[in-house]
Amino acid sequence: MLGPINLDLEPGTVLGLVGPNGAGKTTFLQCLIGLLRADLGEITVFGRPNDPNHPEWKLDIGYVGDIPVFWECWTAAKNLQFVSQFYPDWSHKKASELADRFQLPLKKRAKDLSTGNRIKLSLIIALAHSPKLLLLDEPTSGMDPVVRVEVLDVLFEILETGDRAIIYTTHILPEISRLVDELVFLDNGQIRLRVNKEDLVNRWRKITFRYGRDVIPFQSVVSHRREGNDHQVISSDFPMILDQLRELGAENIQDNYMSIEEITVQILKGGRNVEIN
Amino acid sequence: MLLNLTDISNEPLQGQIVRQIRAKILAGELEPHTHLPSIRKLASSQHISVITVQRAYETLEREGLIHSRRGKGFFVSELSKDKRKDLARERLRETLESRIRAALAEGLSIEDINKVISNIYKEI
Repeated sequence: MLGPINLDLEPGTVLGLVGPNGAGKTTFLQCLIGLLRADLGEITVFGRPNDPNHPEWKLDIGYVGDIPVFWECWTAAKNLQFVSQFYPDWSHKKASELADRFQLPLKKRAKDLSTGNRIKLSLIIALAHSPKLLLLDEPTSGMDPVVRVEVLDVLFEILETGDRAIIYTTHILPEISRLVDELVFLDNGQIRLRVNKEDLVNRWRKITFRYGRDVIPFQSVVSHRREGNDHQVISSDFPMILDQLRELGAENIQDNYMSIEEITVQILKGGRNVEIN
Repeated sequence: MLLNLTDISNEPLQGQIVRQIRAKILAGELEPHTHLPSIRKLASSQHISVITVQRAYETLEREGLIHSRRGKGFFVSELSKDKRKDLARERLRETLESRIRAALAEGLSIEDINKVISNIYKEI
């Protein structure tokens, strides 16, 4: 069961979709681009319903993911040629520039391409018609680090124009943590939390302090460990808990920032109080 | 503009950007009226998200180090002597506060701390 999901994206922003396996990330993207049909309900992108009989809604979307969008026994070049006819805004120049840059062997048949090159071919197909919305489902999985950086380079460039938006799913959090503006946590087909990345980084902290008694559960405490008089808490609202701890008379309060990865784990583990006010 | 950003730091990227641009401005490396790279340009060239640069610029603007002109982007502000002193004082305070709190927790008295500080003066 997926949805209802309602996501507004500002042009020029990147939304990272995170969630445990089976949360519905991939299904959601595949429904948006029409690779999966919803059993129930409807899907609208840019105000247009995704109707297989009227594929115009796809013109503004590019997709890179598990399901190949090309014919295996054709060469990469022939695939590009074939796909181009479906898009009025297709740019052959852009496609060949990207192929050069990625050093994609255009004469090879798609099925003979390496994993990295297959993703590059998908990416060229997704980008050559300059879509307003790019859907990337684990685009860099199976890529070596050098290729991954090449792909990220291209993504940062397309964002520079400010008129394109990206929805990106990945398990490689350090990579997404630099790219995304916002994070959406999906769980059981529902949006559990949508948050601006900088707010997340600024507000979540790991805090240690000394205090003789058990601490009253403050609202923002996500986890709490205690060894004797030493306490360690993870809080989703640092300024607030700092005031509370000082008022309580806690001693030697030390705080540390957390990585997006650490914060994500806490949120996905579903501890209490993960909501950001 | 070249910045030195790392993921291996306790300081989030936003803070690294603020600190490094601030240092460039205070050191005169970025002169008053210099046009800063646009938010999108800097995000792309440093491989960081737009929101991170945007928040960093907002912080610098709040500190009075840069200002924005509608439709033209961000520029380095002219700083008076007093303003520079204010900024220096604020940063000294920020750095010292957590250290002093830690020192007190470690059992030093205010006199002990003052003695350490005056010793540092003698050495400089």
